[in-house]
Amino acid sequence: MTSPPRQLTLEEWDRRHADLLTQGLREPPYGGRLSRHVETEGDLRLRHLRFDNSAAALRLWNFLLTENQRLRAARQKGERLVGAMKDLGTVPVMAYALPGLRAFYPDGAWWTPCLMECSDRLLQLAGTLGADDSFCPVRAMLGAFHTQEHFPEPDLLICSAGAVCDDFSAIAARLERMGRDILWWEMPRRRQPEEDEPACLLPGGLSAPQAQVDCAREELERIAGALGGLAGCHLDAPRLQAGIQAANAVRGALQALRQTVFTAPGGPLPALEMQIAEMLAIHFCSDRQESLGALSDLLAEVRRRVQAGQFAIGPEAVRVYWVNPVADLRAMNVLESCGGRLCGSDFMFTHALDPIPEDLPGFEALARTALADPMTGPALDRGQRLVTECRQNRIEAVVISRIPGASHCAWEGASLRELVASHTGLPVVELEVPPVCDALLPTVRTRLEALMETARARRARSKPGPAA
Amino acid sequence: MEIIVTSPWTPLEWIEAHGLEPRGVWGLPACDRHALAEGVCAFAQRLRALAGTPSSQPMIFTTACDQMRRAADAAAEETATKVFLFNLPATWKTPAARRLYHQEVKRLGRFLERLGGRAPDAAGLWSVMRDHDRRRQAERARASLEKAGRTASRGAPLALVGGPALPGQPNLCELIEAAGGTVALNAAEPGERGLLPPLPGPQTGRADPGDPFAILCDHYFDHIIDVFQRPNSRLYEWLGPRLTERRVRGLVLWVQVGCDLWRAEAMSLREAFGLPVLVLESTETGGGFAARDLNRLSAFIESLR
Ligand code: SF4
Ligand code: SF4
Repeated sequence: MTSPPRQLTLEEWDRRHADLLTQGLREPPYGGRLSRHVETEGDLRLRHLRFDNSAAALRLWNFLLTENQRLRAARQKGERLVGAMKDLGTVPVMAYALPGLRAFYPDGAWWTPCLMECSDRLLQLAGTLGADDSFCPVRAMLGAFHTQEHFPEPDLLICSAGAVCDDFSAIAARLERMGRDILWWEMPRRRQPEEDEPACLLPGGLSAPQAQVDCAREELERIAGALGGLAGCHLDAPRLQAGIQAANAVRGALQALRQTVFTAPGGPLPALEMQIAEMLAIHFCSDRQESLGALSDLLAEVRRRVQAGQFAIGPEAVRVYWVNPVADLRAMNVLESCGGRLCGSDFMFTHALDPIPEDLPGFEALARTALADPMTGPALDRGQRLVTECRQNRIEAVVISRIPGASHCAWEGASLRELVASHTGLPVVELEVPPVCDALLPTVRTRLEALMETARARRARSKPGPAA
Repeated sequence: MEIIVTSPWTPLEWIEAHGLEPRGVWGLPACDRHALAEGVCAFAQRLRALAGTPSSQPMIFTTACDQMRRAADAAAEETATKVFLFNLPATWKTPAARRLYHQEVKRLGRFLERLGGRAPDAAGLWSVMRDHDRRRQAERARASLEKAGRTASRGAPLALVGGPALPGQPNLCELIEAAGGTVALNAAEPGERGLLPPLPGPQTGRADPGDPFAILCDHYFDHIIDVFQRPNSRLYEWLGPRLTERRVRGLVLWVQVGCDLWRAEAMSLREAFGLPVLVLESTETGGGFAARDLNRLSAFIESLR
């Protein structure tokens, strides 16, 4: 059932799917042809993507693209749905620690206009609801709440406030004004501890004043009370600890996947599938057990490929670190067609990849994890992790992708760029990727190709010359 | 020493009680006009530019919005100006948020001491608080006199709502009046919205008026009326009765380009009060209005007559 890695079009995948079935492929209930998502869900973008040809990738894609159905089925079974907003990775750990709750991120509507090539008209709808194109693509969430077609209405909506981006804060406030009850919780703006101020270490190596952790912890305990009320069951220490361990199992699988892919001589798994895989860590794509299964399959496939010396992306490709998620998934394919290979990433939720400390009381551990969110602190902190990972992963070039309308990009891009350039000397390019980037594709390509060219020239210069 | 304050929600009394001189950024002289980087708020950019001027005094930024936070980072990292980033909680209903506010005022005190300020004793702080309270009462009286004068004028009564205006940006009140309107409520920044109600302590006439630090912090924390709060119901609850009482017929929403928080309120304001809303957007850190905007403003006011 295994074959050498290759990237397939949607049609090619359908043929491969048929072959795999004849070879005895056993799929989970959400399995099937990839092209059916175009027909039934209108996920038109799939027609323009290139997918990894492994059965593990097929499972990953099918899992990702059936989340709406999964949520609706859960509702039918009587489970309660929690819409977690903005914190990316913290509230779901608590929700999945309780029986009968399922958490998801309405923020995920960010990608719907891309997946549906804007045929969903969510962005236009958001405009009519008060969020025009001066906001980032997360405004699609407003439209999705309005149409109720892309996710079911949650039973409880929770949103972090304070140290969050303006786009999200503004859009969530608009949502509240449109009649949704939102349970807000305060996320302090992470800062360096002052001299003599009690402080603690955060996952990922940062530190923060204990007073800020205490604030976040108290807020998370309050949220846990609301979740417990919804579940009809108290989120006590053993339950939370078990939830943290289960979340860490997912994070651990993802870390192992990243480690294997980023350090292999060639690229055993393409960038697109890596980005999708990372997204599972945030809320388990509404099924914690299954997300672990999907990641484990990918990890096994990647290990097998590395052992066999089989790569989807050749060893000569330029090792690239990618900053920020791309509104158009196609950009990940473009990176590879321009001669790059993803060897490091910060898709804005690195705090959801680091293991949650298990040697601390549960809420303390979660509060520290939440405070490690790269977007709650200065760009300098984010940049330092970026520099460290560039060195660890022998990165040769950095792409900072700008998100149209995003309040943080205007400030952050320049400082990340300067930091990387001054600390590593690596070539950096900043480019904007809209939800459907076809019109900008020539520009994106040209800029990426120029970056690869520069990186290759640097590589050639750094190779020892022939002996005199 | 002057301390530049960039938000109405950092207690000026606390700075003054430390023997330092708080100065609102709104009254500072206009700086050179700057082209705006795409997506950057003009106000935040102006603050960053101000920090970069050689004679800049220490500045207090707040975490009210992402733009401001990032401007503070840039100022701290790229200039020699002493910068304090005050963590203003966005939420306001919980003890955790209140405590965070108190802690930040304390931390601000340590910053002021590092600048040479002296921590005040209770009597000293009370005295500054009462003085500010009196000044605010005088300001309120002046505002209400002006309001009465304006209401007597025949222009269509409007409310000016929104964020900060910068020196060098057009005086919106004057523009509105020139176009035939009357500013019956100024809820922009600075304006009535930032004017705290009287302090509770001096009014109670108790022998022991309590801990001035806690009272000061609570007084500010309980009366923040701003767009960044979550929920933002206080803003609406504050506006509602004033709009009715002053028979406001339309809202002019003043938005710095790049400001998501105020911009996103346009439709909510329209829906909440059933009044027409004209969004006026600054496109520069200084300079006048485009003729198009003046025309829009005139047409808006004319339609309300
Ligand atoms: S993309 Fe950026 S601006 Fe948009 S919601 Fe995410 S963090 Fe906020
Ligand atoms: S005008 Fe808006 S974006 Fe600018 S500092 Fe104020 S709230 Fe922030």
